Amino acid sequence: MQRLVTASTATPAIRGTRPGGRGGARRRIRFQPAWLFVAPSLAILLIFIIFPIFQSFWFSLHNWRIGADVQEWVGVANYRRLFADDLFWNALRVTLVFSVVSVVAQMVLGYWAASALLRDTWFNKIVRSIFFFPTIVALATIGLVWRFLLDPSIGLVGGVTAAIGAEPIPWLQDTGLALPTVIFVSVWKNLGFTMVILLAGLTGVPAHLYEAAKIDGANERQLTWHVTMPSIRPTLLFTTMILTINSLQVFDLVYVMTNGGPLFATDTLVTMMFREGFTNFDIGYASAIAWVLFALIMILSALQLRLFRYRDVD
Amino acid sequence: MRRIAPAIAATVVAALALSGCSQPAAESNGPVELTMWTGFTGGDRGAYEGLIEEFNATHDDIQVTMEVQPWDTIAQKLPSAWATGQGPDLATPNFDSNIVAKYLDTSSLLALDNVGDGDTQINADKLAPAAIDAFTVDGALYAVPANIATLQLYYNKALFEAAGIDGPPTTVDEFRDDAKSLTGDGVYGLSLADHETIQMWPILQWLDGGDVVDADGCSVLDSPANIESLTAWSKLVQDGVAPVGLTGAESDALFSAGQAAMQLNGPWAATGYTDAGIDLGVAAVPVGVDGPVTLGSTVPLAISAATKHPDEAQEFLAWWTGKDAQRQFALASGFPPVRTDLADDAELAANPVVTAFAAALPSARLWLPGVADATRVDSEVYVTLIGEITRGSDVAGAVAAATDKVNAITGCNG
Amino acid sequence: MLTSVRLALKWVFLGVGIVVILVPFIWMIAGSFRSEADLFAAPESLFPTEWTLRGYQSIWEELPFLRLLLNSFIFAGVTTALLLLFDSLCAYALARINFRGSTLLFWLVIATLMIPFQVTLIPVFIELFHFGWLDTYQGLIIPRATSAFGIFMLRQFFQSIPKELDEAARIDGAGHLRIYWRIILPLAKPALATLAVLHFMNLWNDLLWPLIVTSSTDMRTLPAGLTLFGGQHVTDHAVLLAGATISLVPLALAFFLAQRYFVAGVATTGLK
Repeated sequence: MQRLVTASTATPAIRGTRPGGRGGARRRIRFQPAWLFVAPSLAILLIFIIFPIFQSFWFSLHNWRIGADVQEWVGVANYRRLFADDLFWNALRVTLVFSVVSVVAQMVLGYWAASALLRDTWFNKIVRSIFFFPTIVALATIGLVWRFLLDPSIGLVGGVTAAIGAEPIPWLQDTGLALPTVIFVSVWKNLGFTMVILLAGLTGVPAHLYEAAKIDGANERQLTWHVTMPSIRPTLLFTTMILTINSLQVFDLVYVMTNGGPLFATDTLVTMMFREGFTNFDIGYASAIAWVLFALIMILSALQLRLFRYRDVD
Repeated sequence: MRRIAPAIAATVVAALALSGCSQPAAESNGPVELTMWTGFTGGDRGAYEGLIEEFNATHDDIQVTMEVQPWDTIAQKLPSAWATGQGPDLATPNFDSNIVAKYLDTSSLLALDNVGDGDTQINADKLAPAAIDAFTVDGALYAVPANIATLQLYYNKALFEAAGIDGPPTTVDEFRDDAKSLTGDGVYGLSLADHETIQMWPILQWLDGGDVVDADGCSVLDSPANIESLTAWSKLVQDGVAPVGLTGAESDALFSAGQAAMQLNGPWAATGYTDAGIDLGVAAVPVGVDGPVTLGSTVPLAISAATKHPDEAQEFLAWWTGKDAQRQFALASGFPPVRTDLADDAELAANPVVTAFAAALPSARLWLPGVADATRVDSEVYVTLIGEITRGSDVAGAVAAATDKVNAITGCNG
Repeated sequence: MLTSVRLALKWVFLGVGIVVILVPFIWMIAGSFRSEADLFAAPESLFPTEWTLRGYQSIWEELPFLRLLLNSFIFAGVTTALLLLFDSLCAYALARINFRGSTLLFWLVIATLMIPFQVTLIPVFIELFHFGWLDTYQGLIIPRATSAFGIFMLRQFFQSIPKELDEAARIDGAGHLRIYWRIILPLAKPALATLAVLHFMNLWNDLLWPLIVTSSTDMRTLPAGLTLFGGQHVTDHAVLLAGATISLVPLALAFFLAQRYFVAGVATTGLK
């Protein structure tokens, strides 16, 4: 391998990549212009996100009490306690169910909505806006609104069911119904977001691909599977990953609607983490939950990349 | 074009630099400025703001600014704020009085030494004993009650009339019977909440002579009295006399909508119910087998150990718990005064809400006072227990499991 | 025949969707005009039986409303502007410049998406204290001035822009900065517009962050200020719903205005 004489760039020698950018050589500056580009973002991420994340890992290795002069080191005891905790396994189950169901529902419904509203007619524009409304509204308030609507005694939904002669259903009080209801509201709230991104992807598929396929005699279903899907694969990957990562961390909606109840039926990992950290003041334990969740998300994201047959820089 | 990036960078740097430059001027000879964080959002807020205004108007040398934030936010920020030596001089760390122990763990609270009988001293022996007990640890007082509330029985007079019942129940058995008779036609006899609420179920247990933990923090949930009590009440729920799984807010909404005939609630609810058009009556909680009893709840108001003005802060607490302030507060909010020597006060006696709730003070018990890790006992064990038995779980089995969990949390060796 | 069945199904689903989406909004907006008494007397009714402006009046009288609105605009607006700048710069480098550590950096960026925000709350709060940024605009804005989501999305987008355009510009003597500014950014308008709207919305509605950074009412944003009305015991519904309705207006406007960017414009250079 060639050793370049000008390998006196600021970056340390990590083998494989070539030193110095094309732009850099141009201006006779010895540093990578790339780092200038990434500097502001990187600085903010490092200071305000990455460093705190490592701090939280440090917390998880202690019986951390905020303000204590000396923190008690416990090593992996928090993690061991976590894996022996029934509430943790419950929260894990709830989180996974929530994520799988809501992501699948959003992708299916979002894709359907995007393709149904693809053309730029006035009607479509209006309906798209309507579908996007839930994403715009503040979550705390809409949670309150839905709680009111779903109240079995005084809610609108209860009123409607009473009008058709059925018993009002305790949507958020029944241990079996609470999670599906929360999932429903979550899909309701985020559908517009998914639809918009998929819309962007769908409108980007070159028309000539469709024409060529139609000339070959492809029908509706074949067009979808063999032209649309492959073309929007990167968008699908991006959307699924983002939705999964977000839904595994769901907190605000659950907090506002059920706070993990009834009887922990909707207790997600972050809800549990919040309770342990800020109600029970057990920061070390809460941080351990966060890191287990982090590991889980990394694994699932890697799996998704594999599933979508991601090749580098696609 | 190329100049824009450096220009932006310069702006950012300038902003950063400026932030360091805006230090407040050093303390001059003006009034001492105290900041106070409280969680009194919503309807409660007005009465507290009134107190602050009054204090600031009558004290030239001390000015207090109250910053109201949601309770959650205080729970998130206050420990760090006080630990780093910043943060407010005074604060109500939580609506739960058990929080004092957690902040004492990290030595964040100032021990109140300006206690005595003088006007500018905290008259601790004249304040509600239950609250002072809860805030005294190892002989030192660490907080005063920002408020103290009791639960009484709200009842819907119109619904009582319609069911042909003369007046509110006065004994436990009448309580249960009336609740049953009042149920029907889309109306619940009793509106109960079991989570995210000031706890009502403990009162039901106390009425029958049961309890949750004893003085050592060991669970007494599996006592025969308890099992009987919980069985009786959960049967009522399952028979449709009371709703299942409601939060405090939902339970209030039910009563506001006239769909429940009775509810155990605090003084804050009175105005809302009257505004909602309910023909409202307030009565004492029916007398239990051991005598009158109800739940009391008090919010601690404490001073940061790192405050720069301990004397002024204590003076403020002394004023807050003084006769004038408490009279003003009670009249404005309907809460009973935290002082026990205002019983004869004419103005207060004329206010029906205040008298009704103040009358219950002597028999009020706090929820899980002095229990280690009380929040965990409450949220993980008690709420779960009530949730299970009201949904049909076998009571004996549920309390046995709950007992084990409680003892594990509190470290009881029973 | 199958087509007409499918068409009918499409209309049914669209109809159901529209109703399910609109009803809560109508309830919310109508509810902001209802008195407490009315809300509980006729809770199943969608519309008020008694109209009142008390909700809106209370907001006006009890909150420094204009100040809160201004704070919200400053926070959401400036942060979004900075976000677009920083994220696009970073995304450009990741997409177009082949430099050492770019893969590592990309994974680092993605990794930051995988930690719940609540975890970093306390450390960030303490950091802000040490910088003296609590209760200030810079404290609100700077920590949020970049977003891993934005970097990720823009990187994907930039990669879809044909490299030939870059080459052509390079032949003309342009360096990275000029390519970024003159070629990539203009082509990325749809993605930038989408990102701008999504971020503005998120920041405008953000409740937790402003509550953490600010303590004084004067520095609060609108959603944070509205928490004053949601009590532990007693909630003033008309006010909360009125506040939510008011909060909605600028966002709905921003969305309508940006619509022509992110849907129509995307037709030419989709997110590939």
